[in-house]
Amino acid sequence: MPELFMRMMKEEWRMHSTIFGHVSFALFPFMIFGISFMGSFLLPHLRQALPVGDMALATHVMFLVLGAMVGGFGLMGNEMMNRRFGQASLLAYSARSLPLSGKFIFANFVVKDTVYYFFLWVLPFGAGYIAAAPFTGAPFSSALLLLFTLALAFMAGLCTVFLLSSVYVRSRAVCGVMVIAGGFLLLVSFLSTGPTLALLFPPYMLYSGFSWGMLLLSCAILAAMFALSILLFSPDETGTTRVHGDLYRPLVKRGTFLQQSPLVAKDLIDLYRSGIGIGQALFSFAIPLVVIWFFLSLAGSFLPPHGLILLFAMISGVIGSTMYTWVTEFDSFGPYACLPVSVSTLIQSKITTCALLQVLPASFIAITAVLSGNSADLIPAVALCVSFSFYASGVMAYLCGLSPSVLVYDVKVLFTYLVFDGAVFAIFSAVSLAHPLYAISSVLLFFPGWLFVKAAMRRWDAVDPAGL
Amino acid sequence: MSVVLEVSGLSKVYGDVTALDRVSLSVEEGSLFGLLGPNGSGKTTMIKVLTGQIRPTGGSAMVLGLDSEHEGLRIRERVGIIPEQESPPSFLTSMEYLEFVGAVRKIPDIRERADEWFDYLEFGDKKNVLCKDLSRGTRQKLMFAQAFIHEPALALIDEPLINFDPIMQDLVKDYLKDYVKSGKTIFLSTHILEVAEEICSSFAVLHRGRLLHSGPVADLAEKGVHLSGFFLSLVRKGGHA
Repeated sequence: MPELFMRMMKEEWRMHSTIFGHVSFALFPFMIFGISFMGSFLLPHLRQALPVGDMALATHVMFLVLGAMVGGFGLMGNEMMNRRFGQASLLAYSARSLPLSGKFIFANFVVKDTVYYFFLWVLPFGAGYIAAAPFTGAPFSSALLLLFTLALAFMAGLCTVFLLSSVYVRSRAVCGVMVIAGGFLLLVSFLSTGPTLALLFPPYMLYSGFSWGMLLLSCAILAAMFALSILLFSPDETGTTRVHGDLYRPLVKRGTFLQQSPLVAKDLIDLYRSGIGIGQALFSFAIPLVVIWFFLSLAGSFLPPHGLILLFAMISGVIGSTMYTWVTEFDSFGPYACLPVSVSTLIQSKITTCALLQVLPASFIAITAVLSGNSADLIPAVALCVSFSFYASGVMAYLCGLSPSVLVYDVKVLFTYLVFDGAVFAIFSAVSLAHPLYAISSVLLFFPGWLFVKAAMRRWDAVDPAGL
Repeated sequence: MSVVLEVSGLSKVYGDVTALDRVSLSVEEGSLFGLLGPNGSGKTTMIKVLTGQIRPTGGSAMVLGLDSEHEGLRIRERVGIIPEQESPPSFLTSMEYLEFVGAVRKIPDIRERADEWFDYLEFGDKKNVLCKDLSRGTRQKLMFAQAFIHEPALALIDEPLINFDPIMQDLVKDYLKDYVKSGKTIFLSTHILEVAEEICSSFAVLHRGRLLHSGPVADLAEKGVHLSGFFLSLVRKGGHA
């Protein structure tokens, strides 16, 4: 176990550092540390608007979501490697060539992800808060406890995704039922008792009031989820050759009004047949948004009546823009190099596919507006969500070209992305909170978004496409 | 015979590595030109530069009268390419992939042409199987079909026989020989010397990015020299240079 674990750790490091450069990637935890350290000095001001407990809860939820997203990303590691480096493989797939069982390798993989991302994300964040404690007056013991409970929250997200993925491989129906039942339970609980259920999140409870019993309970839940993931784990069957009907031609015909319909049709088929479309829609879109809605509503009493749904619409837009990473997941420029296709054409087609997929966030936000009793704000909310998504996709295309999911760890790229999106988020938060109808002005974001797409096409056409 | 491909002083440098070092050569229309060289000699880089996939560091390359540095897209419209390592997209079936190629290349009768290729290369039973589930040999058949399906004036093919069984190799070699007889040109990159000797009309030897030799295969035959012996002595000498 230690040997495989250590090699997987090295492999993960080498994969990231090869992609982003050793120095750039090594700086990433320092950036998280810096953000956390400086953010800690804002806490006294934030406390005037948001109770300490709610802030702590929101931070725990953030790490729960982060764990879930890291888990989802990890499960697609091999696709990522193949996409970036051509024919490549990870140790996680070595059961095919080494005398090691799939379950053993999967257990190592889960532990590796936990430890690796703890050092990459959780520790720098907690360390920043701890380092600021002498200046902000936060008790040192509380800061240490926060680091520990955030790690538990992160692991909870990670284990949830691994458990669901293990169930998904065995039965998509059971996994779907679990997710729908979980979402329904959260919704019913929220509608009947407000955010009470969230307060029962074990890592948060442990932080709010440390007790050995709660510590044991938190660890026991995580251990049970981990064990269940391993027990239920079943590697994909290989050697089966299913026959598929022709989806491509009908799709191209239906999309003839689109400029790049041959490429868009391929993207849609990739998403559908790989299962990544459903997986991403669940793990990278619906689940994080349900959780975010749940916890954002904690701040509801501090916002005007329309504030919650409009803020949520903006967040949904930002998360909706990550669909650009879904459609760039499968192929580098390589497979297109033998065809008369330029990088700019590919970027244009990926943005088009991403725009088509916006029906998902738009529907999601519309349903949320109706269910939460904000039907009157439905149009401004949908406008905000879709405009934000298009704008953020444009920024992402400009900064990352066809490799958004690998360039996210490049400090410079991430920082620039946060500045571009953060500034617009701040402006439209203020505008939307002032009056719900003002939110409709967010459609203006289509213009800079379009300019970013055009700039992306020019910028990435000028780069040698091999290796993109 | 007119020249369809002209390379002058072509160089490509990746960091500290010189993949191509001032290479000059030309290929005549209707010839089956073999670019030979050991692994890592720069053959694949040469095809990438010629088809505008990467830009040269120095020199120039004209392909079908088009400048590869600035008109790569137009070159790729007019030529057929088999890349060395690329596989067809994982989640399209074989038929869907050829339809995709047809849609991108705007080939109107693509299904009919695809069916002809499925029959010719004997993999019609795989037309509805996802590319990720195909064997290496079948993927190679598919890549071969996509390169020739629009009957290009020039095909640049990188190790096209490498995953084929002997029967399929024979079939493909015959196809290539017939293709050039129809006046079209093939630029073949390979390190399988027997194949080059059997089907190429002219060849060039590349080693560590430098061109060691260029000329007709018939010249060797006249001197009673085998291509493999000539190649090995050339590369060994070049290697010590």
